[in-house]
Parts: sequence; structure tokens; C-alpha cells
Amino acid sequence: MTVPGLPAQHEIVDPTGPPAPRRPVRVAVAGLGRAGIAHAAAVSSIPGCELVGVVDARAAARRDVRGLGYDAPSFGSVAKLVARTQPDALFVSAGWQERGPIARAALEAGVAVCVDPPIAPTLAEAAAVVRLAAERNTPLASCHALACHPVFARARAILASGALGEIRQVRSSTYLSRVFSPESQQRAAPAESAGGALVHSALDLLFVLLWLLGPPVLVRATSRRFYGPFEDEIHTMMALPGGAEVGLDCSWSVPGYPRQSSVIEAEGANGKMLISDDALEVELASGHGPLPSGPLRLGHSELPQAARFDLGGETLYLADASFLAWVAGGPPPAGRGDAALEALRVMDVVYESARDGGKPIAFVAP
Amino acid sequence: MSGSPRLLLATRSLVGVSLATRDRLLDVVARYREPESLAVTLSKAVGAGVDGVLASPLPVLFAAVAELKQTVPIYALLPALTEHERNDFEPGVEGLIERARGSAGLLARLRAGWSGLARPAALYRGDLARRLPLLIELEVARLSPRALKGVVLDACLTDLVLAAGKRAFFDSYCRFVRRRFGAAAGLETHNLGLLLARLREWDLRPDLVVGPLNPCGLMMKPSVAEVLDELKRTDVPVVAKELRAGGVVSLVRGAEFARSHGAYGLAPDLAEVEDVGTELRALGKG
Repeated sequence: MTVPGLPAQHEIVDPTGPPAPRRPVRVAVAGLGRAGIAHAAAVSSIPGCELVGVVDARAAARRDVRGLGYDAPSFGSVAKLVARTQPDALFVSAGWQERGPIARAALEAGVAVCVDPPIAPTLAEAAAVVRLAAERNTPLASCHALACHPVFARARAILASGALGEIRQVRSSTYLSRVFSPESQQRAAPAESAGGALVHSALDLLFVLLWLLGPPVLVRATSRRFYGPFEDEIHTMMALPGGAEVGLDCSWSVPGYPRQSSVIEAEGANGKMLISDDALEVELASGHGPLPSGPLRLGHSELPQAARFDLGGETLYLADASFLAWVAGGPPPAGRGDAALEALRVMDVVYESARDGGKPIAFVAP
Repeated sequence: MSGSPRLLLATRSLVGVSLATRDRLLDVVARYREPESLAVTLSKAVGAGVDGVLASPLPVLFAAVAELKQTVPIYALLPALTEHERNDFEPGVEGLIERARGSAGLLARLRAGWSGLARPAALYRGDLARRLPLLIELEVARLSPRALKGVVLDACLTDLVLAAGKRAFFDSYCRFVRRRFGAAAGLETHNLGLLLARLREWDLRPDLVVGPLNPCGLMMKPSVAEVLDELKRTDVPVVAKELRAGGVVSLVRGAEFARSHGAYGLAPDLAEVEDVGTELRALGKG
């Protein structure tokens, strides 16, 4: 779409249409907290998709979702849901301990599964779920919404084109003002969590770094705890195979971030790029394809707004729609199971290094 | 279109809800940290001819209003949630009622109790359409009846119910607000095209719908073309917000765009305005 009045530089980006399933898809949602209801809303607004059932062991949660107007049949167990509604796909937003068993039950029944990250509380359990999906040849993904953000998705296209040349250094951060007391840490990271700020608020960014740059070969990290048993901030350095260093700083105990803010700065042989929720800024020494030399700024509002429904932003719709498009025979989404598992493997090494006081640890992809 | 405002000053950026850049958001929060600063701005806005202030009834608003002798007309955006609370918000209505009850005064709790007699939790627990009146009673209780010009349902609830397609909820909500408070019944949405289409199908007409309209098409869902088409067809007064598309275009251009496509009113946010008195006066004349 061309919007009247936009500067001509915006014509260099190709508009992308919204992802959409090629055939009708019957969809269910497991776990009816905030994220689960958001999936239910997104699914209800994706053309060709029907919300056929919801599941949660808590009767009050089932009652509340009905109270919001979602009339799809509700169940207390996945087995009943699958038997009665025969969904093609299931979004899993249940608590940490339940995600793995729910995903396995659905995959065993041949239902495609998209799990809110992380797929399971332990790496071993997540790997088992990914293995099961491969054995059953059934789509499995993790809902890494940041990869669907228009700015981050556009950045990947530019990086993949080689416009920056060989990558020399990457710095990234994600900050949020959320945990400032033991109580708020407990709310943000329940006891059964695999960790604190990294797994709860930076896993999406870690996934995007791997999605943009590939896996590291060496990882070292340090973390600090202020309000409880889990880390409130973590500093990670990862070395890429070519020698470039990738930094990731994360804190959820920093003032001034009522809204989470994620930023990536990449420097390459031919220029640099800054990716944030607000805009994509590229500065190239030499022009590359349609990208001119010199500075170029593409604001979020100037990039194509592909989602057809907005629920606190459009990334959730895009993540859900791209998964359902895959289920209906389209291309796999960014967060497909094996890619999501790789992010969990790197996260595991980050935590291991942090526990060892920042000791460098080699990352070997299996 | 009585009760439908032509010009509102929105204050959502004060609680972190805005498309403005992070720097701009921090700038606004710092500027209005003291209630006196916000009070002066609200007074200027009223002087510039706004029909009211679109704001959640949160302590920051009460503190500012308390500084003023004049009545500031309020279009109360409910439920009143800061960005922090929004992050932890569980969509069921019962949690919101409990939270509001905890911070409400005795009189508000009594009124809500009275209202609750007709909608007992024992029968209707979790039913948003039945139980929302209790939440509204509790949340607007600290506003003077003279100041309350309208109640606007926050997009985080409107859009959840919109996705579910529950006509009865919107119908009962509008009836309740008009009957109980004699005020305008409004809906905020981030899916303007879809909401207007549904309202047309359902033959419902709230007093205002607040939604994003800007020349960049930012947040105009399901698509720019569909939003503009619905604007031509609707008879619901639409009050445009996010006029500057996160700061990319000027307020004047955003306002021109919205009006030229059929917006009934405008609701620029504090984060979109530099000189409140001058800019709002200019918009009022436009």
C-alpha cells in the first residue's frame, strides 16, 4: 500500500501481505490466562480460522473466558478437548509445568501445536517435545512475537541481503520496569520458573538474535539478583563463528521503562544498523541494492502494518497467523520448534556460565 | 450528536500508554510529575475549548483536578490501569472488580454493593456484561457527577469482546452508562474498521468511538482502506486518536487527515501536543 504523503524512500521496502491460512483451520487454546485469552481473540479475528474449543483445568478461568463472550466449548483436559472438537491446531499458554504435557498430548493426537516460550521448563523436556513433533511430522512452533514485529522482520531481510557486509559487532538490550520487590519478582517469575529476567523477558530477544545472526560458538554471562532467587539482570557476550561479538543486556528492574524496550545495534564492514521498537535506522558506506548509501530511517509507522487485528500491538496476530498458515500448508514461521529449541539451548549455556561467574562456555549445536 | 465530543485532550501517555517514542514518553511523564503542572495544562485545555479530558480515574488525575477550582469535564477511560497493571492484567472481570473495590471509598463500595444486588456474584460471576456495572460504579466514584461527561471502555476490553463478537455486551454497556450516569457511552478501540462494521451490523450506536486515525495508517485495522470505507458508512461519532502516528506527522496534518475522512472529533494526547493552549485552540477552530 502506498500512503499519500510518505517520503519516497519508503518505496524501497516491499509491502508484505498478512500471513493467512490457505484453508479453514479449527483452532483451540489451552491455558486461559492473559496470554491464552489474547490467542483466543487473535484466532477469532484471523480469516478462515475458527475457535473450536478452550481448555483449562481451572473452572474459574473457563467461566471468565465465557464471560468475555467466547462461546467455544470449554474443557478441563486436553484429552477431552481433542476428542470432542478435533482441532487442527492448539495454542498452549498454560503454566510452565503444564506446557510440556499438554503439547505432547496434542502432538500424539496429530494436532499442530504453538507454545508460548519457553516450550517447557527444562531443556530436556523441550527437546523431547520437539523430537515428538518431528517423529509425528506435525507442526510445532513457539510464539516468538518479536520476530514478527515489522521493524525486526524488516531488519532481518536487510541483514540477510548482506547490506551491512561482514558483521563485526552486535550489542543488544531489553529493559523493563517490572520487578522492584521480592513480591513483584515472585509474581513475574513463579517458583517453578527456569530463571528470572532472561527467560521471562529476554528470551524473545535472544531468539531474534539467533534468528538474525545464527548460533554462537562461545558464551559467557554474569547475572545479579536483587529481589529473590532469580536473576533480575544479566549480561551476556556471545562469539559468532566469524569472531564477531554479540552482547545482550537484560534487566527488568530498571526505572523508566513502563513499556518493554528492545534494541539491537549491529556494525558491519559496510555500515551499521539500529533496530528498536520505534524504528529501523541503517547507515551504509556504499549503497546495496535498493538501499542507498548514507543514513536511512524507517519508522515503525512507515513500515507495512500487515496484521488485521491489533491486541496491544500487532505482533501476536502476525505470530499466530503465520503459525496457522504453516498448519494449512504454508511456509514455517520464524518460531518453529527446532529454532525455538536452539534459543533454549543457548539460554541454558548462558545460565550455566552465569552460575560459574562468567566462565566462557563453548556452545555446540547438536 | 449530543454528548459526543468534538475535541478531547487525552492523558494516556501519563501512565505509559502511548505510541510516542520512549524518549517522548519519559519527557511527558517528567513534565507532569507534579500535579500542579498537569492542573495548569488541564486548565489551559478547558480554556482552549476542549469538550473534556479523556483520562483514566487514577491518582495522577485526581491530584491535578484537586488543584483546580473549575470543573474539568472528564471522559473516564475504564478500567483504570497503568502500563504496569496492564502488563499483569488478567482479562476476567472479577479480578478488576476486586482490585477496584480495594481502592474505592466507603460510599463507592456501598453503591457498588447496591448495584451488585441485581447482579450477584453467586449467579453471574465472570459475566462481563452483567458485572461490568459494578466495576464502573467503583471506578468513577471519585469523580464528581458534574465532571463526568462520559465513560469510555478501554481498548484492552473493547477489543477482547469485539473479537468474541458479543453484541449483547456492547448494548447493555451503552444502556447502563446512559441510564445510570446520564453520560455519553463510549468505546475505545484499536480495531476501528472492525468495530464500526460490527456496530453497523448490530444496529448499535454508542455516543462515541475513540480509535486511531492518521495519514500513515498506523493501527488502522483491519486495513486502511476498510477503516476509511467504514468511516464513510458509519453514523457513529468517531473521535480520532494517534493523530501523529507516533510522532511521524504533525498534529495539524493528522487532524486534517482525520477530519477529511469523516472523524467527528479529535483526541490528541499530551505526548502529541507541545503548546496545549495554542494547539488545541487551533484544532478547535479547524
